[in-house]
Amino acid sequence: MFNLSILKQFSRLSLCPATKAQINARPVSTATALQFRMTEPLCAEPMKKKKKLDPQIIKAREDRRRKKIEKQIRRLQKNAQQLKPIDEMEVPLHLLDQLGKRKRPVDVKPEVLEARALLQKEWTRYKREEYMSSVAQIDRIMAAQRRALDKLYEESEDLYYEAIMPDLSLIPYTIKGPVATPPIKDYESPDGEYIDVSKKWDN
Amino acid sequence: MIFKLLLQAELKLCQRTFARGLSSKPAWDIVTGVCIERLPVITPPLNEMQKKYKEMLYTIEVEKSLKSDHEVRHDNDKIQAELLKNESADVDLDAVSKITAQDFEDAANEELAQFKFADIVTEADKKGDKSSLERCLQRHLVLVTELQLGKDKKPLLPQGKWVEGETLRQTAERIVSEHCGPELKVQFVSNAPCGFYKYKYPSEIEGKVGAKVFFYYANYKSGKLTNKVKANWLTRTELMDTLPDRYKKSVHEFLIEESF
Repeated sequence: MFNLSILKQFSRLSLCPATKAQINARPVSTATALQFRMTEPLCAEPMKKKKKLDPQIIKAREDRRRKKIEKQIRRLQKNAQQLKPIDEMEVPLHLLDQLGKRKRPVDVKPEVLEARALLQKEWTRYKREEYMSSVAQIDRIMAAQRRALDKLYEESEDLYYEAIMPDLSLIPYTIKGPVATPPIKDYESPDGEYIDVSKKWDN
Repeated sequence: MIFKLLLQAELKLCQRTFARGLSSKPAWDIVTGVCIERLPVITPPLNEMQKKYKEMLYTIEVEKSLKSDHEVRHDNDKIQAELLKNESADVDLDAVSKITAQDFEDAANEELAQFKFADIVTEADKKGDKSSLERCLQRHLVLVTELQLGKDKKPLLPQGKWVEGETLRQTAERIVSEHCGPELKVQFVSNAPCGFYKYKYPSEIEGKVGAKVFFYYANYKSGKLTNKVKANWLTRTELMDTLPDRYKKSVHEFLIEESF
C-alpha cells in the first residue's frame, strides 16, 4: 500500500493515472500539469574555457621581453656618451697626409710684424672712438624721445599712456641688412643644382 | 637722502598736475609728424683705416692657410711642364694633355669679367632726381614733403593734426596714407614719439597759440608714393640744407648720424 501512496503523490507528473483505483475520480483536474517549459533566455555567450599555459613558457617569454628592453637601454646609454660627430670640425685625412706639400713658405720680416702690431693698436683706438660716438648717439636719441614723452605727458596723460604701450606687432622683427652690391634689376639668376649632402642621424 | 629724492619726485608730480590743472583747455594743437627713412641699400664705403686693417687681416689669413687643391694642381702642372721641357723619359702624356690649372683660372676670370655688377651710381644720381628712391644707395634718405602752413609752403616732414579719439600712433599711420598714398608701406618702430618740436602761429587760430609736433619714426618698406604730392628723399646734408632752421635741429636730434 505504501507503493500506491507514493504513486498517488506523484500523480500530477504522470500522464496516465498510475492505478485504476481512481477511475471514479473527477474528470477535471485542477492540477496544472507543466509538461512544456521554456528554457531560460541566454543573453550572452557561454564563457570560453581559459587556455592554461605552461608557467615555464610564460616565464621564458617575460624574460625575453625584459632582456630586449635592457639591451635597448644599454645601447642608448652607450650612445649617450658618444656625441654626434661634426664633419666640418674634423680635418680630412687626405689633408693631413699632404701637410708637407700644402704648407706655404712664409717669411715675414720683423719690420712687417712691427708695422702690424702698430696697426692693431691704432685699430683698437679707432674702434674705441667709434664705440664712444655710437654710445653718445644712442644717448642723444634716447634723450630726444624722453623729452618728447615728457611733453606729451604735459599735454595729455591718456595719449602718454597709449604711447608707452609696447608695440607687440613688432615681434618677431626681421630686417634685411645692407648688401655689398646693389641689386640688378630684372636679374634672372642661373639655375643651379641643389644636392643635399647632410647625413641623417636618427636611429 | 632717499626721503629727499622721494619728496622731490612728489613735488615734481604735484607741479605737473598743478600746471595742467591751470591750463585746463589745451591752447596748443597736437600735431604728429612722421619721419620716414629709407635705410641704406648697400654698405658704406670703407675709410682709410678700415681698408688698411682689412688688407692686413687678408694677408695674415693667407699666410696661415694651407694650399688649396687648385694651388696643388697648379704646382703639379709646373713640375710636369718642367719635365716636358727637359724631355725626360718618365713624362706621363695623359697628365700633360689635360687642362692646366692656369687655363681653368683664366677661364674663370674671363667669366667674372663678363658679369656686370649694378652700378652704385644710379640713373637718379646722374640726373639729380631727388624724388626717386633709387638714389644715394649708400646713405639714409628721409622723406620731405612740401606742406602748406598758413600762407606759404614749407619743406617739412609729412605732418597732420591729431583728431580726438585716436592715439598718436594711429594719427601717424593715417598721415602716411593721406600724404603718400595707400601704396607706400612703412614700418613704424614704436608707439612712442621719438622727437618733439613746437612752434607758434603768427596769430591765434581757433584759440590755439601754436602747435606741438610729435615726431614718429618709420622705416620705408615697399611701394611707391602717389604722383600727386611733391616729395623728395633727402640725404642728411640735403636735409639740413632744406629744412627750416629751428625745425631741423629737432629733427637732427633723433636721427642716426652717418659716419662718411
